Amino acid sequence: MKKILETAKNKSDQAEVYYTRSSSGSMSMRDSKTTKMSTSIQSGYALRLLKGGKIGTAYTKSLKNIDEFVNNGCMSLKGNVEASFEFPEHIELLDADAYDPSVGKISYSDLQKEAQKLLKYLEGKIEGLVDIGVGYGTDETGIMNSRGLNMSQSSSFYYIYTSLLFPNTEAGICKMFLNREIEDFSRDEIDSLVEMYKAGLPEVDIPSGKMKVMFTVDSMYGLLWRLSAAAQGKSFYNRVSPLQDKLGQKVLSDKFTLYGDPSAPDNVGRRMFDDEGMPTKKHHVFEKGVFKNLILNLDYAAKLGMKPTGNGFRGGMWGGETVSLPPVPSLNSSRIAPGDTSFEKMVSSMDRGVIIFGMLGAHSGNILNGDLCVGLNPGYYVKDGKIRGRVKDGMVSGNVYELLNNVITVEDTLHDSLMGGKYPSILLDDVSVSAKK
Amino acid sequence: MLEKLKALLAGTDADFADIRYEEKRETTIGFSGPEIRIVGSNTTDGYVVRVLKNGGFSTATVTKEEDVPRAIKLAINGAETLAATGGKKTEMEDVPVVNEIVKLHLDGNPDDIPMDDKIALTRHYNDLMLNQPEIATTNLGYSELGRKKFYVNTEESAVAEEILTTSIAGEVIAKRDGLVQNVRVSVGGADGYNKVLNRDDVFIARAEIARKLLDAEPLKGGTYDVILNPSMTGLFTHEAFGHFSEADIIEDNPTLREKMSLGSKLGSDGVTIIADSTLPSQVGLYKYDDEGVRVKPVTLMEKGVLTARLHSRRSAKAFGEPVTGHAVAEDMRYDPIIRMGTIFIEPGSSDLDELVNNLGDGLYLLDAKGGQTAGENFTFGAQYGFIVENGIIGPMIRDINIMGNLFSTLKNIEATGSDFSLSERGGCGKGQLNIKSAYGGPHILIRNMVVGGA
Repeated sequence: MKKILETAKNKSDQAEVYYTRSSSGSMSMRDSKTTKMSTSIQSGYALRLLKGGKIGTAYTKSLKNIDEFVNNGCMSLKGNVEASFEFPEHIELLDADAYDPSVGKISYSDLQKEAQKLLKYLEGKIEGLVDIGVGYGTDETGIMNSRGLNMSQSSSFYYIYTSLLFPNTEAGICKMFLNREIEDFSRDEIDSLVEMYKAGLPEVDIPSGKMKVMFTVDSMYGLLWRLSAAAQGKSFYNRVSPLQDKLGQKVLSDKFTLYGDPSAPDNVGRRMFDDEGMPTKKHHVFEKGVFKNLILNLDYAAKLGMKPTGNGFRGGMWGGETVSLPPVPSLNSSRIAPGDTSFEKMVSSMDRGVIIFGMLGAHSGNILNGDLCVGLNPGYYVKDGKIRGRVKDGMVSGNVYELLNNVITVEDTLHDSLMGGKYPSILLDDVSVSAKK
Repeated sequence: MLEKLKALLAGTDADFADIRYEEKRETTIGFSGPEIRIVGSNTTDGYVVRVLKNGGFSTATVTKEEDVPRAIKLAINGAETLAATGGKKTEMEDVPVVNEIVKLHLDGNPDDIPMDDKIALTRHYNDLMLNQPEIATTNLGYSELGRKKFYVNTEESAVAEEILTTSIAGEVIAKRDGLVQNVRVSVGGADGYNKVLNRDDVFIARAEIARKLLDAEPLKGGTYDVILNPSMTGLFTHEAFGHFSEADIIEDNPTLREKMSLGSKLGSDGVTIIADSTLPSQVGLYKYDDEGVRVKPVTLMEKGVLTARLHSRRSAKAFGEPVTGHAVAEDMRYDPIIRMGTIFIEPGSSDLDELVNNLGDGLYLLDAKGGQTAGENFTFGAQYGFIVENGIIGPMIRDINIMGNLFSTLKNIEATGSDFSLSERGGCGKGQLNIKSAYGGPHILIRNMVVGGA
């Protein structure tokens, strides 16, 4: 890192070096047979150079030649990409304390034992196939820049995941437990999952029409992708955001609050700084329905004449090689504030409606405009406060700004999402459902 | 490099092992609106090791050469643990030993084109779109992705192949008052730089569609009969059937294996589906997959009857069916999984007018906007469409996503058109991104589809 920075400093006004190292192992099991065991050890470097108001970038994985790497950044500078920001100066941050060294000692045999434990607990309770995944890993991220910033941190993770498939299908409902070290799964939560699985065993036809719809934790990303796309700096700079000129205005139900908080102590991959070295903090985007803040990285904050919000992260909707992706405004570690109603009460309050446990096609709609049209996979049908079974061929659609103005209740508990983030279930009124019947 | 890989693999204590090294070079130019936002050309590399021992199969991926011995050790340990704990028993289908170096054949080598010319071309297409009425902004990028792949296994196969995908792709965004509409655009392929030249008409047409969408009505959800244009037919084929023809999707589900038995009648008589990654000039083109097996054209469905499926060496052995050369990885960060590559429905005999007449009342849906498959259910979206009444194409509609089920939808294909085209860009996200997932076909008429809408 230091050598790269020294070389890069001599060829630019300001330079920044980012590196990442990760190591992970995982196994997959279907119906008591382990199907896969795999390991990944990856690393990479990214470079950003600022010179004369322009920016140049470069990346590599196995650093073989520092001069060549820096020259790639210099070649990029010739593309005349404008940049009006500076790299941040160093500030002292709290230790994330997100790394548990015991993860480094986990073996394939340990994973096997944990999977068997969960499998044994589920024995005789499920009519279809049972998938179990167990994995662990460590991530190390560091940033140095020529203004003296030097930050790094490590984190560890362990997860165990199960998907209970409906008989004769590949569709099911799932639950993941995520921690910083090996930790036993919650029997209560698995019991609830099994109960919900059994409620979905009958396959039912439902009528089309407007009805109540509940988004649960693993369908929330369909709504949040749309809100994030509208609230991020690029959409504002290009003046195509539906939230343009609405800062400080109430645009959603007062029951809806959305924020990001990578620095929250209970985040498994807790981060005290973003991928540009800016400190992270609790960052409200919507508070009681009011649009409070944009999501900004260094670049778009400068372009818009605003302050960066610590939301510059390397990544994309489809994953990708971290070092190859420039930092973009991202609402990492997002959370929706809990409400005051239990899941059971929310279900019993539904005269007629659908609960979405999983969805298909959330990426297909007009995301920036907030339009959503998704297949239920699975969705449960509720009539007179009772679950009647899982829906055959149903779709839910609407615009996120209309949907989230019709919030009836918000669940009192946050759950870990498979896509990252922690969310409660949200019950909405008057949502369009299409079905074959 | 092949000799180095042989040396790294030598002495591996396993029944079978292979190693793949890849060097990936990406050239990227990106515009957001009128501003150039990124320019660069960078190289990454890494290794993938796979081990079969005592019937257990395990993989490890590493970035650095010095980590390869550790990767081999970890993969052996994984395979041994899997075998010792009663895991799934794996065997590899026998394939011919190959020793070949496959070179690129390009119609215009991007290496010969200066970066400034690539920037100018991308800027030109970007400006064309921005200059159309009511276009608010664009996101447009030039991408050149070259992979040099080197593969060696303990059976003494050694294959090197270079593949290159070039594209200019992105979206054009129209805006009026609070309404924003976007349309995707892409040109390119696997056969060189010339494919992205002289394509003004494509970019102007996409901007025009985005503008017209500002006046389109949101679709009312319900069950409709639909005509799909070739882009939509391709996505439908990929999502509704293609993934289920990938053996790893159904391998560990006894019920679905039974339902997907070769000889089963799953589609209507007019439906013949082919996966062919040997088609020249197509984005899906390659010669050897990522376990050193030469890819073959495969007729997956003939006149509605399931005739074959796509395999890796492992799945071919498990199913007792021929190897097809479809074990493909996104890059050096991944071990290969079964991917369909170029897939399409064969054209039939109806022209578009006949299809629209036969449709009567329904929807004419155009241009793929992403799809997803989970088990036997799938969704796929259209960028725009038209209401059809009494066989006459009427007003434009937007916000269209369709849901279906493999075992019912293919039987509802009533007619296939006589036209044919394939996509110029892929992008399937089955665990790993596959930019070579080309698709296409003719116009087709399908009855009774659930279409979501306002």
